[in-house]
Amino acid sequence: MRRWDLIVIGTGLAGLTAARTAIEMGARVLIVGRGMGSLVLFGNTIDVLGAIPPGVDLEAGVTNWIAAHPDHPYARTGWAGIAEALVAFRELFPPPYSFVAAGMSNSLVPTGAGTLRPTYLLPVTMRAGAGITAAETLIVGFRGFKDFQGDTVSLHLKCRGVNIPLPRYGLEGLSALALARLMDEEPFRNSLGEVIRSQKAGEKRIGLPAVLGLREPAAVMEDLEGIIGARVFEIPMLPPSIPGVRIFNRFREHLIAKGATFLMGNPVTGATVKDGRCEGITICNPPLETTYRAESYILATGRFLGGGLWADMERVSEPLFHLPVSQPTMRGDWFQERFFQPEAHPIHRAGIVTDMALRPVDEEGKTVLSNVWVAGSILARHEAIEEHSREGIAIATGYLAAKRALTL
Amino acid sequence: MDLQTEVLIIGGGATGAGISRDLALRGIPSLLVEKGDFTSGASGRNQGLLHSGGRYAVTDPEAARECIGENKILRKIAPHCIEDTGGLFVSLPEDGAEYRATFIRACEAARIETVPLSPREALSMEPRLNPLIIGAVQVPDGAVDPFTLVVENARDAESRGARFLLHTEVVALIRDGLRVTGARVRDRITREEYAIAAPWVVNATGAWANQILGLAGLQIGIALSKGSMLITNTRLSERVLNRCRPPASGDIIVPNDTVSILGTTSLREEDLEHFEVTPEEVSFLVKELSRMIPSLREERFTRAYAGVRPLVQSGETADDRGISRGFALIDHGSCDGVMGLITITGGKLMTYRLMAEKVVNFICDKMGLHVPCLTHVQRLPGAGLSHALKDRLLWLRRQAPASRGELLCDCELVPRETVDAILREGKVRELQDILHRTRLAKGTCQGGFCVYRLLGVLNEMRKGEGLGGSNRILKGFLEERWRGIRPVLWGISLKEEELIESIYKGLFNLTPEERDRSEGSQT
Repeated sequence: MRRWDLIVIGTGLAGLTAARTAIEMGARVLIVGRGMGSLVLFGNTIDVLGAIPPGVDLEAGVTNWIAAHPDHPYARTGWAGIAEALVAFRELFPPPYSFVAAGMSNSLVPTGAGTLRPTYLLPVTMRAGAGITAAETLIVGFRGFKDFQGDTVSLHLKCRGVNIPLPRYGLEGLSALALARLMDEEPFRNSLGEVIRSQKAGEKRIGLPAVLGLREPAAVMEDLEGIIGARVFEIPMLPPSIPGVRIFNRFREHLIAKGATFLMGNPVTGATVKDGRCEGITICNPPLETTYRAESYILATGRFLGGGLWADMERVSEPLFHLPVSQPTMRGDWFQERFFQPEAHPIHRAGIVTDMALRPVDEEGKTVLSNVWVAGSILARHEAIEEHSREGIAIATGYLAAKRALTL
Repeated sequence: MDLQTEVLIIGGGATGAGISRDLALRGIPSLLVEKGDFTSGASGRNQGLLHSGGRYAVTDPEAARECIGENKILRKIAPHCIEDTGGLFVSLPEDGAEYRATFIRACEAARIETVPLSPREALSMEPRLNPLIIGAVQVPDGAVDPFTLVVENARDAESRGARFLLHTEVVALIRDGLRVTGARVRDRITREEYAIAAPWVVNATGAWANQILGLAGLQIGIALSKGSMLITNTRLSERVLNRCRPPASGDIIVPNDTVSILGTTSLREEDLEHFEVTPEEVSFLVKELSRMIPSLREERFTRAYAGVRPLVQSGETADDRGISRGFALIDHGSCDGVMGLITITGGKLMTYRLMAEKVVNFICDKMGLHVPCLTHVQRLPGAGLSHALKDRLLWLRRQAPASRGELLCDCELVPRETVDAILREGKVRELQDILHRTRLAKGTCQGGFCVYRLLGVLNEMRKGEGLGGSNRILKGFLEERWRGIRPVLWGISLKEEELIESIYKGLFNLTPEERDRSEGSQT
């Protein structure tokens, strides 16, 4: 008996977006995955295409850019597809913790290295960081919290910085997650706010590591702003990423409320393929192996980090469906000589090639599996790291894959 | 600022540091200049193998005898730099029982203790060995930490009046007619140039010997041979594993604290400043060494590196492994009529002390001094200390949680306190100096996380600027790290690489220098 209309494989931003799109269309959805994907590592703001400079209209910029990059995943979605998917994403985050843009273009946000990074949608907790000036900004780090070096940030932004001791807690074993949970406690953040206020010397904006709570970050920010008497903003830092966990939690809560089935933590060990169609996937929950079947499947398993792609000493492969992977011919060609070069390392352009509907194709362009769609970073021919397009690709292709899978 | 000394030593490898200590113990003043940090050349880029001599027993009995002699001395004078792992010479079916018998006889002749082992005995000692082995022979191989060994030699020498100038390169040799009377040197960081006068100049630059000699219009016959090595993420064996066959490429696995070092290759190299480990060398080493440990193909590798050996040429030989691994002491006064200049090159890390002894004997002889060498009996100052993992763990356990402080590196358990102490000493001049003196960036993530934290510490002390601007240092570090990891990026290492690249290029938006300049970015 086929119980599901759609099985989404992968619980990163692409898979979550696909599952949510499908559930809004009334489908019965099963979503399976091993973890939060790159959200828990890098999920902060929503990058769409950082290559378009701030001040340039993003729609015009992306449209021109697509014309110059006809192989790119965005050439499958078009600007209209990106825009529609972003509207849907923003609907999932109503105020107070909403995502906002600086008009119709990218803005620059400070990072944990003290650099500025172009991005499109920001959570409200990062809004005050866009377009800061040195004179009015104070960067606050916490003593013993080593994954955010406040001095590095303030040195590069040429503003003032302080390292403050945390109320109640010593140096030992403080993780970002532990800090975020503490921030959710009102007495803790109130006393922290008092310490920061005592350090303030007329600055109008206060930059903190992005750990302002898991449950109610907007309230944490507002409380701190009230006590300190200045705008407060979060700065993205080394993984794990608390803002990414917030995105994941919001999606999961919504999907479960809408009736999707969530299977997390167990690996998908195999897929049954017959006559160019996927007949089912096997999930291992020791000692049991269970087969799940659906009309359609979306593959959103990420790249090497997520396990969607695997490289041995010779080749890059896609381990679940054994789909053809577009890649450089030899291992010697995977990387450039230097780490920092203007072009991405060729291996980052490797991945699954699809047709316009995001179905996987072989070298001749023939559809390999007729009921499987591919979304997210596993797709070939983008340079998400250099382009700053990670979340945009995930959201736009996750959205499109679900639409195509359900309206075939 | 001009300086004066009795003996000017060029080169801060094991040989140079060893000469410095030997001179100091005999009461002769010296000054050592090194263009990088200690062990920047082959002394820091080898397999860290404390040879028993077994490797050379059949093909080069003299080298074998030297090795076992120095092996016993180093165990006495530098026990803290050595892990007494023992070693096995393993015979696979293609190596044959006959060579094994020859090997045992040759070891006996060189006075290297051997214990023949049956396949079963060897497999119970080293369970990851290929079950097809036909036998093994146990020898007193071990693992040695070259950096600590060299730094300890230098520290001891310094406490006895010797001087050291790191990041200082020789730009010219000063001549007075037929005599070399010193050198002009340049500080590579401040660019300051000055002269050092010395009646004796010792060229202990290893593979760079001819670069120094070229300044005096001289040249010696050495071949440069690149050897590449791989580091695994875990320790594969308790003992050093060698193939029981004539020395060849890809036949040694040396355990080193928590990891193993696989080696080596042997390729002619011309360019001493830019040499890389090629994908072909990596594939070769993995394939060849997986004969000894079949599970190697599934192993995670953290880094590859290469060193250049100076091999003294005594005649025409087709294969570099045929050229003697012995050393040469050349008095350019008697060879070339250029007085006051000595070159010591060739040899191995194992024989550094012996090489130093010969050099200092020669100088004493010329000076008419009769002071005996003491380096074979006088223990190094830190003897008794340990850097082994178990001791670091014990140290951590002894600390109360509150006083334990931050760990900058979670992979290798490096506390912030260690770095603070090094900075307080005031001798480090660049990031790599700090990394050489700690285990930072040597673990699984190869510094991907801890270098960010280290720079934070430097910025907090505002030392980052002194070292050259923090994000520039960070990029320099990532570029240097890349040289090591690029050859081994597949499997799990590639996952890690995607993570690190996503952090620094993606999240932190660090871009190539070219773009920095054109965009006037904040770095």
